[in-house]
Amino acid sequence: MAEGIQNGLLAVRLVTPDRVLLDATAEAVELPSAAGYLEALYGAAPLLAELGAGEVRLHGGTSGDQKFFVAWGFVEVLPERVTILAETAMHPDEIDRAGAVADLALGHKMWAEAGDDGAKYDEANEITRKAEEEIASADGKS
Amino acid sequence: MANVLDLRRRIRSVKNTRQITKAMKMVSAAKLRRAQERAMAARPYAQMLLNVLESLVRRTDLYNEETGEVLHPLLVEREEKNILVVVIAGDKGFAGGFNANVGKAAQKFINARTAKGQNIDLEPVGKKAIGFYKRKFDAAFYEKTEEHYDNDLSTHYESIRQRKGQIEVAAEHLELLLRTNFEDVTAMARDIIKRYERAEIDSVYIVYNEFKSVLQQRIVVEKLLPIRKLGEHTIESAEERTDEERDAAIRAAESEGISVREPDMTEFEAEAKKFGTADVDYIFDQAPEDLFAHLLPRYVATQLFHALLESTAAEHAARMTATDAATKNAGDLIDSLSLTMNRVRQAAITKEIIEIVSGAAAL
Repeated sequence: MAEGIQNGLLAVRLVTPDRVLLDATAEAVELPSAAGYLEALYGAAPLLAELGAGEVRLHGGTSGDQKFFVAWGFVEVLPERVTILAETAMHPDEIDRAGAVADLALGHKMWAEAGDDGAKYDEANEITRKAEEEIASADGKS
Repeated sequence: MANVLDLRRRIRSVKNTRQITKAMKMVSAAKLRRAQERAMAARPYAQMLLNVLESLVRRTDLYNEETGEVLHPLLVEREEKNILVVVIAGDKGFAGGFNANVGKAAQKFINARTAKGQNIDLEPVGKKAIGFYKRKFDAAFYEKTEEHYDNDLSTHYESIRQRKGQIEVAAEHLELLLRTNFEDVTAMARDIIKRYERAEIDSVYIVYNEFKSVLQQRIVVEKLLPIRKLGEHTIESAEERTDEERDAAIRAAESEGISVREPDMTEFEAEAKKFGTADVDYIFDQAPEDLFAHLLPRYVATQLFHALLESTAAEHAARMTATDAATKNAGDLIDSLSLTMNRVRQAAITKEIIEIVSGAAAL
């Protein structure tokens, strides 16, 4: 990793509940924070943020550009390191598009049936958003 | 007395059995190795999540300053009237006392709690536990209501629990052990949290076989909710193994070349411990209270995930030990049968010689 730091590269690590999925370097990392996309560069201010559904994109670095779809996670940005905790993380081409379409329909159905329960709306919105992002990522549009 | 032919047949049959148990032992050893690796690989995530939570605890007020009331529902301790017990056993038998021991520990806990007049909800994981409890107890019953209002434009659904007996089976998880993935465990945790939040249950316990290494194993009853202290396992009771069981497990592991001690911490795990704890002033993207509320249910899911992974490893270890013992017993049986066979054969030969000699003497 010392080599990366000298080159002004960020050490990027993507950790899922199952394993450490990625351990690489990058010049810049785009992150789907819950409040919108943000980009971390070398020397960024320390930040802790929640991630929503979307794509983590790595630019430059030793292993070139890479994309990962993540759904809910958490990120720690330090000046020379970005560590991403993601509940679900996969390559866009691993996405089960048919499953996502089914989830989208489920999300809409749950929203329609939520009635007066705020928590159910939140849950339905979460499912819908994840499914939408999944479809967009699978289609390479996000 | 059995004749030589019968004995030879029996020896052949026992030899076949020994071959099967030997193969099963090798398969279990391979599965154990993989399960151990999975449990290790899952640690960095759990550690990081815990670190973030701990750092958030320092930044948020968990208690109302004036009333001293706990602000997050998962931390509130209520009087325990209805208890949920998640029992994690295995999908298959042939694992020595694995399933029975978990069942015994669960039963002991259930008996102690029902004696106090508390209601028990069971949530078995694994075919063995599900089969056992479903035969014995009724499933929980929910009355579903549907209310229409605003000229049928809006509908309100609600399901209300109608308790019939003191012990009921609230949910079952048949597929969870087949491929323990985090998504399914999260769904299970969410469901439990929902029931906890609407006070259908007042506390949650998991009964499972804790597995740190082949050496360090025990059956524990662990409190999952309410969370008493982050990062600590609240063990209600634990059943240690007997020395005999431990020795058998060590013998089986060593014969397959599996380390009996806990593997060393990986580089990732050591680094995971530092996550979110750098001596800097972090910028928070959201209010720490909101983050805390979002993270806590996930923490519960990781606890559950860990219990499942450890239980899976323990099951394979138990099967490996059982099949190792079976292989050894088969070997002993073959030895003893061979001895008997030789004796019988020798006796027959001796008898024949005596007959010939006596015949010759009579001439």
